[in-house]
Amino acid sequence: MITRFFVVCRCLVVFLGCATGAFVANAADGILWLHHAQRGPITFSANPQGQDARVAFFTARGFTAEAIHPYAQRCGFSVAMKNDGHAAIHTHLADWRAIDATGRQIAFSLPEDWDQEWAKAEVPQPARIAFRWAQFQSENHFAPGDWIMGMVTLASEPLAPFQLIAPYHDDQGVQEIVLDALTCAPD
Amino acid sequence: MTKEYRKLSSMPSLAPRIDRRRFLALLGLFWVAPLVWAQGTGMTPIPSRPPAPVLQLKDSDDQLIDLAQYRGRVVLVNFWATWCPPCRQEFPSLGRVRERFPPGTFEVIAVNVGEEVETAFPFTGSTPFPVVFDNEAKTLAAWSVRGLPTTFLVDRQGHLAFQATGGREFDAADIVVIIEQLLNH
Repeated sequence: MITRFFVVCRCLVVFLGCATGAFVANAADGILWLHHAQRGPITFSANPQGQDARVAFFTARGFTAEAIHPYAQRCGFSVAMKNDGHAAIHTHLADWRAIDATGRQIAFSLPEDWDQEWAKAEVPQPARIAFRWAQFQSENHFAPGDWIMGMVTLASEPLAPFQLIAPYHDDQGVQEIVLDALTCAPD
Repeated sequence: MTKEYRKLSSMPSLAPRIDRRRFLALLGLFWVAPLVWAQGTGMTPIPSRPPAPVLQLKDSDDQLIDLAQYRGRVVLVNFWATWCPPCRQEFPSLGRVRERFPPGTFEVIAVNVGEEVETAFPFTGSTPFPVVFDNEAKTLAAWSVRGLPTTFLVDRQGHLAFQATGGREFDAADIVVIIEQLLNH
């Protein structure tokens, strides 16, 4: 009985590790996902992205450091979602939110809003194209087997730790998948 | 504690009850699943198979590649960029799947989105299929691409037959079977 109890405990620890995001998962191209959650066949992963990394990424694709600064200083993540189910799902980034330690809800900035900023700042078109397609899109459709990754930013800085709540629509209605205990990248 | 542990582990009646295979299977189920979700699976049929949009773009040698010139072949059209991790990961499988089928039956066209030849070529090197460049990302709207990578299978009659969003291994059995089915129709 005692041995079985230990076996059950070990399985529970592993399961909770996966379910709460305290798990380091290996994904595409050697990416280590620091935060990971699963709800049925849907998986959702995120990594905080620092200011320096984003400045380096986008200045290599035509932005000036000054132009990308407003974006890079925001609390941002690389996120990925995958549909291993048998039904299609849809996401609307406008529905996603962070809830911080004070209970404050913070929306995500949309790629279209950023593009308006780039138009005003006269960012070159190739840089805007790279930015547009590097983001997690405002509207996504995931057929069975599909997965999509991209960058997201929060509209304002949440108080850590916070949750990322990602609603999605499936054939049963609206579902939510939640990443817990997140912080923005330290820089 | 140590004493108690020794006592337990030396109890012969308990040893057979530790079903290690079951434990490892359960452990693997929870532990491995997040590790192997790197690439997606399969491709999704496109209802009513509309005609493929026009695709006329130049390759790195400034040669115009026109999808229409491949009518009669099954064509895999892949939209990608070098900065896109799943694009980079799946790219070698485009060459592998291209070489699984006899010349003249199946072709791959990789459409680089928004980059210059000088940026993409160090990554691609020479490929057994055309890599074309859509510097202004103008084809994406016509092809209803919502994210990178996105891949289409165009049937021998020039219709959009299957689609996949997100990375794949295109020489995986489930996708090779789809291509074979399209080749037989």
